[in-house]
Amino acid sequence: MKKLLSLCLVIFAVTSLNAQTADEIINNYFENTGGKEAWLNLKGIKMNAKVNQGGLEIPLEIYQMADGRQLTKITFQGLTIKQGVFDGTTLWNTNFQTMKAEKADAEATAMMAQESQDFPDALVNYVARGYTAELIGKETIDGTETFKVKLTKKPLTIDGQQVDNINYYYFESENFVPILVETTVKQGPQKGAISQTKMSEYQEVGGLYFPFALEQGIKGVGTAPLKIDAIVLNPELPASEFAFPEQQ
Amino acid sequence: MKSIILSGLLALGFLSIHTDVQAQEIKLKGKELFGDINARQIGPAIMSGRISEIEVHPTNNRIIYIGAAGGGVWKSGNGGMSFTSIFDEQPQSIGAIALDPSNPDKNVWVGTGEVWVRNSVSAGAGIYLSTDGGTTWNYMGLKETERIAGIEINPKNSDEIYVAAMGALWGDSNERGVYKSSDAGKTWEKILFVNNTTGCSDLIMDPNDPNTLYAAMWEFRRTAWSFSSGGINSALYKTTDGGKTWNKIHNGFPKGKLGRIAITVAPSNSSVLYSVLETEKDDDKGLYRSDDAGKNWKKLNGDFGLVVRPFYFSRIVVDPKNPDVVVKAGLFGSISRDGGKTFKNLGAMHSDIHDIAFDINDSDRIYVATDGGLYRTYDGGNTMEIVENLPVSQFYHVTVDNKTPYNIYGGLQDNGSWYGPSRSPGGIEARDWMSVGAGDGFRVYKHSTKEVLYSEMQGAENIWRYDINRNQTKTIQPLAVKGEDELRFNWNAPIATSLHKPDRIFVGSQFLHMSDDMGDTWVKISPDLTTNDKKKQNQEDSGGLSKDNSGAEKHCTIFTIAESPLDENVIWVGTDDGNIQLTLDGGKTWTNTVKNITGVPANTWVYHIEASVHAKGTAYAVFDGHTANDMKAYVYKTTDFGKTWTSITTDDIEGFSRTLQEDYVNPNLLFLGTEMGLYVTIDGGQNWSKFTNNVPSVAVLHLEMHKGTNDLILATHGRGVIVLDDISPLREITPDVVEKDVHFFASKPTLIVEESGFASTSTELQFVGPNPSRDVRIIYYLKKRHTFGKMSMEIQDMEGNTLIELVPGKSKGINVVTWNGSTKQPKMAKGKTFTFGGFTSPRVQAGTYKVVMTKGKATYETTIELVNDPTSVITEKERIAQHETTMKLFNMSQDLAYLVYELDEYVTKADELINTDKKAKKIAEPVSKKLNTLKETLVITTGDNYVGTAKNQLREDISELYSKIASGFEAPSSSELENLSLLTERYEKAVKEFEKLKNKEVKKLEKYITEKGGAAITLKTYEAFIKD
Repeated sequence: MKKLLSLCLVIFAVTSLNAQTADEIINNYFENTGGKEAWLNLKGIKMNAKVNQGGLEIPLEIYQMADGRQLTKITFQGLTIKQGVFDGTTLWNTNFQTMKAEKADAEATAMMAQESQDFPDALVNYVARGYTAELIGKETIDGTETFKVKLTKKPLTIDGQQVDNINYYYFESENFVPILVETTVKQGPQKGAISQTKMSEYQEVGGLYFPFALEQGIKGVGTAPLKIDAIVLNPELPASEFAFPEQQ
Repeated sequence: MKSIILSGLLALGFLSIHTDVQAQEIKLKGKELFGDINARQIGPAIMSGRISEIEVHPTNNRIIYIGAAGGGVWKSGNGGMSFTSIFDEQPQSIGAIALDPSNPDKNVWVGTGEVWVRNSVSAGAGIYLSTDGGTTWNYMGLKETERIAGIEINPKNSDEIYVAAMGALWGDSNERGVYKSSDAGKTWEKILFVNNTTGCSDLIMDPNDPNTLYAAMWEFRRTAWSFSSGGINSALYKTTDGGKTWNKIHNGFPKGKLGRIAITVAPSNSSVLYSVLETEKDDDKGLYRSDDAGKNWKKLNGDFGLVVRPFYFSRIVVDPKNPDVVVKAGLFGSISRDGGKTFKNLGAMHSDIHDIAFDINDSDRIYVATDGGLYRTYDGGNTMEIVENLPVSQFYHVTVDNKTPYNIYGGLQDNGSWYGPSRSPGGIEARDWMSVGAGDGFRVYKHSTKEVLYSEMQGAENIWRYDINRNQTKTIQPLAVKGEDELRFNWNAPIATSLHKPDRIFVGSQFLHMSDDMGDTWVKISPDLTTNDKKKQNQEDSGGLSKDNSGAEKHCTIFTIAESPLDENVIWVGTDDGNIQLTLDGGKTWTNTVKNITGVPANTWVYHIEASVHAKGTAYAVFDGHTANDMKAYVYKTTDFGKTWTSITTDDIEGFSRTLQEDYVNPNLLFLGTEMGLYVTIDGGQNWSKFTNNVPSVAVLHLEMHKGTNDLILATHGRGVIVLDDISPLREITPDVVEKDVHFFASKPTLIVEESGFASTSTELQFVGPNPSRDVRIIYYLKKRHTFGKMSMEIQDMEGNTLIELVPGKSKGINVVTWNGSTKQPKMAKGKTFTFGGFTSPRVQAGTYKVVMTKGKATYETTIELVNDPTSVITEKERIAQHETTMKLFNMSQDLAYLVYELDEYVTKADELINTDKKAKKIAEPVSKKLNTLKETLVITTGDNYVGTAKNQLREDISELYSKIASGFEAPSSSELENLSLLTERYEKAVKEFEKLKNKEVKKLEKYITEKGGAAITLKTYEAFIKD
């Protein structure tokens, strides 16, 4: 399987010069990373990852399910804390002071309900989702040539106002996988700045290709790396793991 | 069939790749050369800089855009509390911003090129459109218009745009007047043109009728030595048919020539117009009002605040709710609340007001653009407050000293002279910057051995010698003496200090003046080195209809002085009228070498001469022709004392250039400051690449390099000081390097920094400049971006033991990975809450370490070195004691963690049996109870992480002492050692107690389980537990 995909990559490298539209680029991306059908059949993923902040290594376990449920487990000193837990209706986090669960505000919850529908990727069936994609042009990212594609999603409501929800994808022209996604920071002290997520170390898991190294940050300010150690497809997790713990 | 096609394609693909490699010469240029080398924008914002334009959102008062004179476009989403830069890649000189009234959240138009045309104004390059609220920008043409004064959009048709093109400042140009697009900027039609010296300086659309527009046409011209405002072609026009026909509306205006005209329509009443006229007679100058949409005009007021310097202040704004509240830009800004009859000044703020905007809902909230930043008021303009996070300061020049950290010195447009540190605890804050000059500031030099610096104000009206410790100044500028010509100093008069004699200082008028006693005594060491063209020395007549003899146009002056670092007798001088003078004998004789240069128009301004550190006869000359309307880059090199010169520019360079910095080590590594940013060559000028990693397309007026750190420092005229930390990797790039799969660059030993003080005092809304990283830098060049497959990096000791894993950069080109010298934090015992001391990571000691990078199947290695601070007062013995104690506590924490793990496993098993096996209860209960009792003394088992926290137990006490010692650098104090002894005792006691319980209660339990045929309690090994 891996060899076959590598072969495909070379072929697309040859045809890349002729790729003209955002749609073709996105289709090539899915074809090169396992096929659109396989992506659509995905029921969920579990990622074991770690971030390192100044020597402090923080292990994460991230679940994202096709029905929109998701959670992140952070393990510190043997204690596991859940953050960004969404059961389809309620978004909640663990308060680090009290170690108890607290619900997120209504806007954040609504945003999660909207954004979590993008599983496994906002680009899969983007037209059916009501999104539009536009090829902006070519740009050099990380020293390599990319296609810049603008993906316009449905607007979000932030601080009571409707705001645009646009992501810019940069697909490496040699192989059509995205190596950078940019969006505008929509709230908080960095509002208006460009948020960047860089992707690399694409590796195969069950016939699909995922980036195993992510760097997230603000353009011009710096990035924090997230290293993925393992990805499990279609993980099983009881509903109780996502539910807001009423009795604490 | 398919496989045949595939094979064919593959073969073709490989063939073409192979051919490319063979045919292509390796060009040392492109963004990838710089990779992860990112610049630091350190501001400052304490004095901010000139703001030229404000645009408020028509329906959402949280959104405000501002345009800076040289610092791009910034957007606020919180009603002007803070701003974010959104226009870094485009020209930074901003003329006009407009939001599409039908789609103001998305469509943002920016016309580049400031229209407040002072001598130092930067140029624009056309108009840009964002259709996503300022996130991305599309160039929409009109490049040659140079300056755009206004953009008006039909509120009923987003495709219909009118643009006021002021046009070229420094020469004739037909690309000016009023342009119209009916297809959202795809094409433009010039709909009002007067002649090639007259542009549109103001344009306003009737808010109630998109076919009615008013256009102010202005005849104007600058040269390097004069300014002219006004003429017979200046006029105010009106159209009522969308620009098909235009008519002058001068009924009530005085006869004769007109100058710059401001025009506006009251948003709440389209019949009410205000116009401010610059006229031939002084008595006619002032504010005119029309109450019939321009049919008739009546002069209301000629106060100083309304008529002062029309070329610099020509904006008039009416309250959106009240046609009788009107504000005029000016020296202080003037507001009228009686329809323009009388005015008073706006509240105290920085002088020189360029634009004003009212909040859409509350007219007491007003935003004001000044030479010193953006101000806001909440009481109708009485009390003004500066926005403290706009680092758009306009530096003319920078220098550095030799301190650690080094300081950066420089002067700014209308904001004096300053110095501040290249790094500071918590970041470089407003409080870190010291004011060391008044007026417009330019060149500031620190004395190389004394706590003295020199600074100046415009035209060398004052050159200060400032005793930093005593806070005393003395003015030392050279003065005219009997029998000699009057001295002519440039607005930005050159100062230079000697590299050979610490007390020596040079100042340039038309002569070169030298002092060997820090400015007390001056000796002229040259004749007049300029062309001394008298036609260019009539500044008293400058200004046109409004006399403007500020000194800004003083010409035929020396502009740059460069003493050879290798020979004090070799001094180069460049003049603003095109001479490159050289003395080889300390000023006794001079030769004008400019005649040896071909390809540069005569009298082109010599902006900078760089005397080489590599060879006495080598120098670089940078010419700036923009004041003669020549926007080409001219950079020349001589290696024979100016006898011959060679151009080192290529088509890679966009726009004109001003300054050059030579690397101190690699003579082929050169940095060029241009009107549109920073360019770098690594092959002596054969190829140039624009450096864009956090350096906007901003005018770079001067460059400096700090020898100790290899930092490049940029004086930008609009984005403050920008620093490229340690450019040394660029010295190593050669064709061989870029052909290797991986190349590790040499790395300097990294100093272990022993600082641990307190940090910032800035508020949330104050700008703080970032510090340089003081971590180990692992720098390597990748031939190709690593997108597929594993790639990892780890730090090992020299025996190959892994200390920590790092995440490698994957970019094609230079990658920089940093490491702060920390290793993994200890594994802590599990309790009910966190023990925060356990989040501390121990540092490695000074020494050499291996970097092992694995990329696919290949492994690449290099070494790095950490060294102790040679100025530290801590001894080697003390360092060893600190490290050993740290690791003792580290190990004790992990040992305790394993003990608690074991204990928990036994308790879990015991509790399981209690619940499932009644017979086991008698044996299992004591296990659970006694172990839990012990556990309560080992870790916190109740409470929370804040004020509900429980009393510390052994884990918390160990981790607190561990963190205390691990975070410091000194040997443990006797008090700490005493505490360690106590903790060791408690720990040993706990171990004994645990062993006792294991040998008795737990053993019984295990025996019971075995007898019942149950599964034995299995524990992870210590190593497995720690790794898990």
